[in-house]
Amino acid sequence: MTEHHPSPRELEEFVLGRLPKGEMRKVSRHLLAGCEECGRATSSLWSHEAEPTEVADRPAPKQLQAPTPDAYDQVLDRVFARVVAKEKVIEQERAEAAHLFAELIRHPPARRELLVRNSVRFRRRMLAEKLVEESHTAGFSAPAQSVDLAQLAVLVAEAVCAAGELDAEASNSLAAKTWAQLGNALRVAGDLSGAEREIARALEQLDAPGGSSMLDRATVHYRLAALRKEQRRFAEALELLDRVGAIYRRLGQRSLLARTLRKKAMVLGEAGEPEAEIALYHRALELIDQQEEPWDFLVARHNLICALSDCGRYREAFALLFHTRPLYLKHGTPLTLVHMRWLEGAIALGLGRLDQAEAAFCEVRSKYLERSMDFDAALAALNLAEVYARRGRAGEVRVLAEEVLAVFAARQIHREAFAALSMLAEAARVETAQASLVREVSDLVKRSRGLQD
Amino acid sequence: MMSAQERPIIEATLEDFLFRVRPRIKALFGRFQIPLEDSEDLLQQTLLAFIYQRPVIRDTEPWLLGTLRKKCLLYLREKRRTLYETVDASVLELVARPVAPAQEAADLRRDLLAALGRLPSRCQALLSLRYTYGLDQAELARRMGYSPASISKVTARCLATLSRYLCGQRFVLRK
Repeated sequence: MTEHHPSPRELEEFVLGRLPKGEMRKVSRHLLAGCEECGRATSSLWSHEAEPTEVADRPAPKQLQAPTPDAYDQVLDRVFARVVAKEKVIEQERAEAAHLFAELIRHPPARRELLVRNSVRFRRRMLAEKLVEESHTAGFSAPAQSVDLAQLAVLVAEAVCAAGELDAEASNSLAAKTWAQLGNALRVAGDLSGAEREIARALEQLDAPGGSSMLDRATVHYRLAALRKEQRRFAEALELLDRVGAIYRRLGQRSLLARTLRKKAMVLGEAGEPEAEIALYHRALELIDQQEEPWDFLVARHNLICALSDCGRYREAFALLFHTRPLYLKHGTPLTLVHMRWLEGAIALGLGRLDQAEAAFCEVRSKYLERSMDFDAALAALNLAEVYARRGRAGEVRVLAEEVLAVFAARQIHREAFAALSMLAEAARVETAQASLVREVSDLVKRSRGLQD
Repeated sequence: MMSAQERPIIEATLEDFLFRVRPRIKALFGRFQIPLEDSEDLLQQTLLAFIYQRPVIRDTEPWLLGTLRKKCLLYLREKRRTLYETVDASVLELVARPVAPAQEAADLRRDLLAALGRLPSRCQALLSLRYTYGLDQAELARRMGYSPASISKVTARCLATLSRYLCGQRFVLRK
């Protein structure tokens, strides 16, 4: 063993991997020879823990003269000054993106694409972000437009990333976010294979060199979970939502975690685990501040009441609906109030209050028909048919069953659901349709929503 | 995790927010002992991401500290990876030196074997093949029955174990 021991500074630099090559070789040789003294010195520089993980705090290899917290003051001063200045620039970029979006949207879709491809003016990160946001909003009412906007977002993001103005993480995150939104828009529009393809691209981008932001990683996985739910691959959806929840927990994002728990509850409901579904809605409600986020709170409450009703806990559902009614009236949209009325009917039916149930379902059915929501109107008609079946009004059951069959014959609903409806209509014709049969068929049709053959 | 009753404080300005979180940022850097010269990059990346994503971030302080903490962890992981790679390169250079005197070469072989002998058996086998016969990843994978994808992970873990051993971490070794 060599008599020459590395200096404490050399050992520190060795542990931090910062020595020049020749020096690293000398120190490695010295330590390979088993020098106890230097082994003790480097050991004291090293954490006694295992490798740092994402979950636990693992201290670094210690430095002989580690900076004290106050030593960072000058660093913070410089960075804060730069970031405050940059914030003003970003606000301007956001305002500019809003104008560019307004300009784009005045043109027909084909022309929008030409503009984005040919004009450098539209190659803006904030425009891509704006298009993602608008695509997401459009998804609730105009799926085709949502797809168009998401495709534009992808084009803009590709141009921005190709220009090389963003660092690797920002570039990967932007690309992943736009592809994920396109995947989501395609899913909402019913193109599940297209959704699968675009979300796969988003996932690849997340793991490109440079990494991606945790929030965007969570968003992409959330979109994938929504797709898996639609595909009835419930186990995968739940696993993905657990990963999403872990990220939001780590980042302290209560609202996003609550939203994730709600989504997970919905998956559990569709997977036939109503008790687990109910427990998760309770957890989500604990995270939502009713004053700050009244709409989110109302949605979670509504879903909980539905879940209680669906699994036969009608008294609890009734009590909770009673206490939630002021929220519906204060924060609900006209459509929300229709949903509430439907829920009143379902609970009344469960409690055997057939007059109240009949009145509620009649009202709800006509409101859905006014809005051309024929699937929902048909479901309400099936609920009404169940009431009539329990009252022995076979003729009215037959009329409703035939009406519903006609509605679904014009749509491409799931084969199994259509077959069940046909069977119900036949039973109703010969006046043998029992309330239990109507209920079974109604549940099957409800579950078939969004399924494709 | 905050409960719904702990409402986040809403600052009027970014400056107010940065003033409030300043002590916690300093404490975080202090805990991870990030060198001053590297802390500036980590903080700037985090804060720039923050101001771009601010409209969608409801709980700002946990987001900022959680993201910065993750960056510090990744920074440390990268530093350790640098150490493992340089130790590996150093050992490879040592064993590859063509003109070492016979005694020196014998001493190196002895010390290397003794060090490898203290490692888990899988790492002994892998690193012996690597340093004695100079096998590359593909050949190591073939010899040891690993897939090409997994051999690099296994090699990285073994190099980490060797590096920790050299740095005196005897007690983390398990056979």
